[in-house]
Amino acid sequence: MTTQNPNPSSNPSSNPSSAHEDQQLAPTPGQRVTTLLKRTDVKRTLIFGIFWTAVFVVLGLYAYPKWMPEVMSTDMKAMERIIVGFTVISAPIAGLVLGIATQALTNRHKGNTPPPDGPAIRTNGPVVIVWSIVSGIFCLIAVVWGLVELNTFANAATIDERTALHVEVTGSQWVWSFKYPDLGVQSDKLMLPLDRPVFFDVTSVDVNHSFWPLQLGIKVDANRLQTTHINTTPDKLGRIDVKCAELCGLYHAYMETTGEVMTTADFDNWVTTNGGHIA
Amino acid sequence: MSSDTTAESKFHIHHDAPAVVGRRERLGVRLVIVADGAFVAGMIFSYFYLRGLNANGAWIPKGGHTMAASSGWIVTIPLIVAAMVHKIGTKSRSAVTSGIVLLAMLVGAYLQWHQLAHMPFIAKDDGGRHFFEGGYASSWVLLGGANLFHFIIGTFIALGLFIRGFRAKVDPTLEYWRQLTASSWFTWIAISGVLCAITTSIL
Amino acid sequence: MGTGVVIGIIFAFAAYYALRPNADTTNFYNQQNKALLAAMFAWSIGFLIGIGAFIGPFRWLIGKDLTAEEQLYLAGDGQGIKRYFKYCTDHKVVGIQYLVGVMAMLAVGGTMAMMIRTSLAVPGGHFIGATIYNSLVGLHGITMIVAMIIVATGPFGNYIMPIMIGARDMAFPRLNALSWWVLFTAIPVLCSAWFLGGIPTGWTAYAPLSVQAGPGMNAFIATIIIFAISTAVAGMNITATVVTMRAKGMKWNRVPIFVIGSTMSVALAIPAFPTFMLAMVQTATDRVYNTGFYDANVGGSGWLYAHLFWIMGHPEVYVILLPGIAILMEIAPVFVRKPLFSYNAAVMGFAGIAGLSVLVWAHHMYISGWTPTLNGPFMVTTEMISVPTGLLFLVMLGTIWRGKPWMKLPMLGLFAVIWNLLIGGITGIYLSDVPADNYLHGSMYVTAHFHYTLMGAALTGAVSGLAYWFPKMTGRMLNEKAGYTAFWFTQIGFQILFLGMFIAGAEGQPRRVVSFASMYKYYNMISTGGAYLVGTGFIILLWAVIHSWRKGDIAPQNPWGAKTLEWTVPYPVPLENFDETPVITSDPYGYGRGN
Repeated sequence: MTTQNPNPSSNPSSNPSSAHEDQQLAPTPGQRVTTLLKRTDVKRTLIFGIFWTAVFVVLGLYAYPKWMPEVMSTDMKAMERIIVGFTVISAPIAGLVLGIATQALTNRHKGNTPPPDGPAIRTNGPVVIVWSIVSGIFCLIAVVWGLVELNTFANAATIDERTALHVEVTGSQWVWSFKYPDLGVQSDKLMLPLDRPVFFDVTSVDVNHSFWPLQLGIKVDANRLQTTHINTTPDKLGRIDVKCAELCGLYHAYMETTGEVMTTADFDNWVTTNGGHIA
Repeated sequence: MSSDTTAESKFHIHHDAPAVVGRRERLGVRLVIVADGAFVAGMIFSYFYLRGLNANGAWIPKGGHTMAASSGWIVTIPLIVAAMVHKIGTKSRSAVTSGIVLLAMLVGAYLQWHQLAHMPFIAKDDGGRHFFEGGYASSWVLLGGANLFHFIIGTFIALGLFIRGFRAKVDPTLEYWRQLTASSWFTWIAISGVLCAITTSIL
Repeated sequence: MGTGVVIGIIFAFAAYYALRPNADTTNFYNQQNKALLAAMFAWSIGFLIGIGAFIGPFRWLIGKDLTAEEQLYLAGDGQGIKRYFKYCTDHKVVGIQYLVGVMAMLAVGGTMAMMIRTSLAVPGGHFIGATIYNSLVGLHGITMIVAMIIVATGPFGNYIMPIMIGARDMAFPRLNALSWWVLFTAIPVLCSAWFLGGIPTGWTAYAPLSVQAGPGMNAFIATIIIFAISTAVAGMNITATVVTMRAKGMKWNRVPIFVIGSTMSVALAIPAFPTFMLAMVQTATDRVYNTGFYDANVGGSGWLYAHLFWIMGHPEVYVILLPGIAILMEIAPVFVRKPLFSYNAAVMGFAGIAGLSVLVWAHHMYISGWTPTLNGPFMVTTEMISVPTGLLFLVMLGTIWRGKPWMKLPMLGLFAVIWNLLIGGITGIYLSDVPADNYLHGSMYVTAHFHYTLMGAALTGAVSGLAYWFPKMTGRMLNEKAGYTAFWFTQIGFQILFLGMFIAGAEGQPRRVVSFASMYKYYNMISTGGAYLVGTGFIILLWAVIHSWRKGDIAPQNPWGAKTLEWTVPYPVPLENFDETPVITSDPYGYGRGN
């Protein structure tokens, strides 16, 4: 960029060797690909790329489900599907990116003087366009999938209000309490019947908390003097962990409780034992 | 080395022509106006968001007080006067125009301060604690406070231009550009005043 | 500087004394908040008066502009090392001031992080207890965020950038010094939080917890307001400089990519930070005057705070990220001896990110319950950011493709960032998806994600910049062996620390917790081990910087054989950079065979 070495042209110049090729018969696409695959850097990128893709596929299919808690509702199932799916879909992208980077590292220049000049490739129009389109397609897949899941997730309108269970969740520094207004029961543990839709009405008496029953795959903030809503349908028996997901002061870390998804019979039993009445 | 801008200087922060320096300063002020504009936009967003939310019906609670819709416009008049007078008087750089602008700023600052000092919507709870009645009250005071801040900065600039009209031995081109730059500020605070006045008249 | 400190302290005490709360308990907390806030702002103003920051405007006001000799004095001419402690307008001095300031903030923030991770090595939180832990979390967060906002544009945007565009200084040199010293005044204010009982919130300072918080919260509020002023001034200065002071012939398509990226970053910051300032002003008025912005009892809402905060908060992370990536794009061509691949794609990538970033903020509020129907549109805009981000990857990868990378210190960061930004970016896509975020929000997964992007990518980019520009800023070479060692310790430690954190988050550990269930203990212990490696690495880096600065090998004028303008000037760089400002005839990426 000094005044001594002016750049002769401002046209983006692609690979200089292509000018040489023009002098012979233009190669067929098949020939182009074979020539490409003969290059060391392309071969190495492919091998590294396949390796990294495999790593991410394994991550998605095996690791994530192993780490995440028990799936006890359709919402949690959808959530896990998304994480697994997105990981697998992003695997080839990660493979390509890391393949190129790993390959470049194997080609590194050692020594204390600068390396020899590389080819003066300023841009490659087709590559930029293809890259943009492909990344746009991946983005579109993620968006559409997300919107579809969001739609089913939020579709409370399809649930029959009469069969649904209402639970009023109140967060306060630093405990959760659950009230079942239709049943006349209050509890500090979240007990729910299997396969019955449940509507949560969540509020707080002091600061922002966040109601998070892990295995049910839902979460909503608890705000003072406002009521927020979320709903789900537990479809597996077992223990639920309820945590607070918003820093709410000194003992935020201890603001957790448990609960259980139980059969309807057991649930009715629990209700009556705790002074309530079955609806 | 390019030529100096004034006769006596050997070192200047800028070696460029006065018009170039002036244009640069105006760009700088306009960028600061963008920042201030974002603040004002945020306040207006705040006002309308709380109004739309009307949490617990307390935007303007039952028996709550409001300012007259004209209150916002009363303080905007000095802002508009200052902006217009300044723009018209830019070329002349006369002490009269600077003086009028300065006066307008002082009057406006006083009016705005007076409004803030006599707000009707501060209530007292049982424990004797003062609080603002509702969302409207809180939002109004912030808009008024920001207006006051604009007046204070405007007073500083107007005062400077007024004094410099008499005293400064400076390059006339650069000074003319500084008048233009100041015009950006006065125009902006007038626009801001109008926006705030419109906002607060929508109860 | 001494005068500044003395006057600042006097002002602070005077303000506090004048407004001090009396025993009347009705308004005690209001009064206390008012007195503390006033004292903090008084300190800042007093310091600035003492150090002479307002001489320029005052002299303008009375019509006696500064003479040439006075301007030369302000530029630090002939004042030696003293000028680093004074109100000095030379952009190179300001750049070094920022560099030292940033390093100090990173050191303090890093120490807090080590304390956090030490406490989290085992469940129970007995190491330091909940109060100190929660304060550490919030103060570590804000210290690092402030440090990261200025880590690249502060030192390099000030020192290197004007030389890089062929200018003699910044557009507004006095404001340049002001932006540094204003920031400086915020540092003791932030530290005072510890003496006032700490803060119970995270760095996001959500209301109403922030309104109900104790006196330490005032320090946080004052810091942000002061910092917002510094950033607005600095952002305006950098933008005006790049727009109006490029050398003759430097058309926009010949501007170095570092300058493009940094300018877009600060231009984004100009409209973004005032909303944070507003959110804090409203918190302050709620605390002092009992306004009701965030109190639902009087028509307010915590959601208002969340909106204002995140309207700043999301552009802000791209303000942090863009300069780091731009630095690596500046470095890569030099060390593979090939042109930057697709300059236009790089510009579009930066512009796309900056533009989209103002449309995505409510993805931080998906589960707040504010308006669930609007979650969908925000999910769409957020996921769209992956496309311009992909372009940035294309540029970096295209540049190293078919080149032989010269693995000197500056180049190490590029490979680390490719990995870190990939992980950070992919996990960001999970979080942008509303159903997935329903599980992941508020868990350690989020913490790991943003550390991968802000620390793994942006900070690594900035440290690469330091290694790259060290010869021009200090005249010496950064010790290579120590640099390599620091690199391996920090990057390997980083992976252990935050990959372990991803797992704990996926398992369900919430964030900002002093204690956790025993099922998470395995990965927390692993994370803490990684943290100690990172800490060791940064201590080695700090040692390397200090040692090399004092005793390192003297650097040649252009050790890397780079083509940008800063390498055409000697060290020490003369006061006005160039004898004659250069005339530009091409972009600075003319490397490679055939160029």
